[in-house]
Amino acid sequence: MTSDVATRRLARAQPAWLERLRHRPLWLGALGLAALAVIAVAGVTLGGVAIAPADTLAILGHRLLGWPVAVTWPASAETIVLELRLPRVLMAAGVGAALSLAGVTLQGLLRNPLADPYVLGTASGAALGAAVALLVPVQFALLGFGLMHLLAFAGALGAVTVVYRVSRLGGLSSLTSVLLTGYAVGSLLAAGLAITMYLSGQNLRQIFFYLLGSFSLASWPQVAVGLPIILLGSVVLLTRARALNALLLGEETAAHLGLDVRRERLVMLAAASLVTAAAVAMAGLIGFVGLVVPHLVRLVAGPNARSLLPLSAIWGAAFLVLADLVARAPTELPVGVITGVIGAPFFLYVLRRYRGGYEL
Amino acid sequence: MRRLSLRITPLLAVLLVAACQAGPGQTVAPSPSAAQTPATTPTQAGTGTTLTDDEGTTLTLPAVPRTIVSLTPATTELLYALGAGDLLRGRTDADDYPPAASALPVVATYEGVQIEDVVAAAPDLVIAGGNNFTSAADVARLRELGIPVLVVYAADVDGVLADIRLVGRAVGAEQAAEVVVGAIGARIDEVMAAVAGLDRPRTFYEIGYLPDIYGPAPDSFVADMVSLAGGDPITTSDPAVFSISLERLLTLDPEVIVLGDAAYGTCPDGVVGRPGWAGMTAVRDGVVRPVDDIVVTRPGPRLGEGLAALALAIHPDAAIAPPTAGTDYCPTL
Repeated sequence: MTSDVATRRLARAQPAWLERLRHRPLWLGALGLAALAVIAVAGVTLGGVAIAPADTLAILGHRLLGWPVAVTWPASAETIVLELRLPRVLMAAGVGAALSLAGVTLQGLLRNPLADPYVLGTASGAALGAAVALLVPVQFALLGFGLMHLLAFAGALGAVTVVYRVSRLGGLSSLTSVLLTGYAVGSLLAAGLAITMYLSGQNLRQIFFYLLGSFSLASWPQVAVGLPIILLGSVVLLTRARALNALLLGEETAAHLGLDVRRERLVMLAAASLVTAAAVAMAGLIGFVGLVVPHLVRLVAGPNARSLLPLSAIWGAAFLVLADLVARAPTELPVGVITGVIGAPFFLYVLRRYRGGYEL
Repeated sequence: MRRLSLRITPLLAVLLVAACQAGPGQTVAPSPSAAQTPATTPTQAGTGTTLTDDEGTTLTLPAVPRTIVSLTPATTELLYALGAGDLLRGRTDADDYPPAASALPVVATYEGVQIEDVVAAAPDLVIAGGNNFTSAADVARLRELGIPVLVVYAADVDGVLADIRLVGRAVGAEQAAEVVVGAIGARIDEVMAAVAGLDRPRTFYEIGYLPDIYGPAPDSFVADMVSLAGGDPITTSDPAVFSISLERLLTLDPEVIVLGDAAYGTCPDGVVGRPGWAGMTAVRDGVVRPVDDIVVTRPGPRLGEGLAALALAIHPDAAIAPPTAGTDYCPTL
């Protein structure tokens, strides 16, 4: 009786086309890829310096595909398109996919809708690492990455490792323990960050903008190093759909289903942390993507991890490339701000639309 | 992210104010690594000029640059003073002098360099500020893209003169640079002669008041300027610290307070009412004087005038010609 009412209200609240898409994950995926392609082309075409779309396409075709086109554009246009915008778009797509995948995984693993890629201390670890790097008076660069990127990467992974190990010491149930340990370690690291920033003097500006997140310094060497790491972790996460579905039923049930819960949890935590650390090292702290994209996709496509994982990766990539495009359209703004500005109202709208039937 | 940003936002606000106030004039503590003896070696005629910038980076310019992007207010001023202003294709949003500079496109802000805009301007030379005035990451990115970047950073007045010569050599205006250096040097000599026989009052150069009291760090550019201007500079406790506690300030008891923050609305009458400040000799005696911070602390061609203005703020009766540059932010009616 009650469920009848709920179903009817649900049917009323959802637009019919969205309801149809819910059962067609392939369509959603194709739509996402098309959106990603359009947004990516726009991302390469638009920017602070106006370059004609025709020129942009000609540059891309000429240099990447070997189209026989007469070179009519200035050399600077080519540098802007190929050396500045293209790696930037690729990096944004990779980071968006990585954060969304990590978000889906951690939300499912911890069975907590507020979990995001940073919930286990990655954000504070990376931030502290980056801030410490700026206090070290050593100029250092390896494959397009400075000390800041490397220490951010190490800090993120270090923080998660500490959280994981410490959480296994106590007597609490493992999920609660991991979450609370993550919060405690994160708070401690945030305090360390505050002290480091206070002492950083002239370097404060760099730390500040790093914390807001940006793709403005994306370069090919960074893409060449960072994207393979993200790709590796993402593949691992994508193959864990069955385990993630089982874990949603509870760890005990999952174990009864024959899942090696401890091992699966470790693999997923490690892969999610790896992609998050790589994303954070490349682009700084970009919030909201990893929290909200999984929820949006779940609202539209349902909670089955088999479709949820790939769809989140695709739509997360598209969303972040779009956010980065908006972030640099008039003047350069931190992309981490834009993700919230675009994402939050949209999320609220969708939440209002769906009054029932939502599950993690 | 959410958790983090909520906690650190107030701190950020505080620190950013400090950074902003330290930023425009590049008046921060010197980095020990900054070389202050830029060695410039002209190579054989026709093969270009090899320069070593203040961070020790060597760059060779194949020819005299025809297009330049300047990423510090001081070098923008300097390039105009050297007669190279018409080569400029970009500036920062803080470059406000000479008035002609305002017409140039802005290619860098406090947030960073807009790399695309610089690439589009296709400059033969970019002049950037050291000690992270221009972020090191931006400088590295520009160099990766094949754009020559000369980084200048002066830790003291001699460093400014060296930088003027360095930039002069970079843009093929050595003689004009000597003229500018000569003029500043003459002004320095005039000031030093005028204050030579006078007492050296304990002088606090206030860079900012809220939310902390900001003053010059030991051995910083501003401290050097105060010494040259005939004052005994009161500084913060450490070269890496830019704020000074009220306790320290009261203990060191300034005899003269110079308001470098006059441009931001701080005037002498406001200082008297500050809690605790009445205990300072300078406040009791009413020796609190505003200066135009930009002229005093910007390491550019107007530095001689800035030094004169500072010296007159410390020694109003010294035999120094009044400065020909700067704004009076606290006019007395």
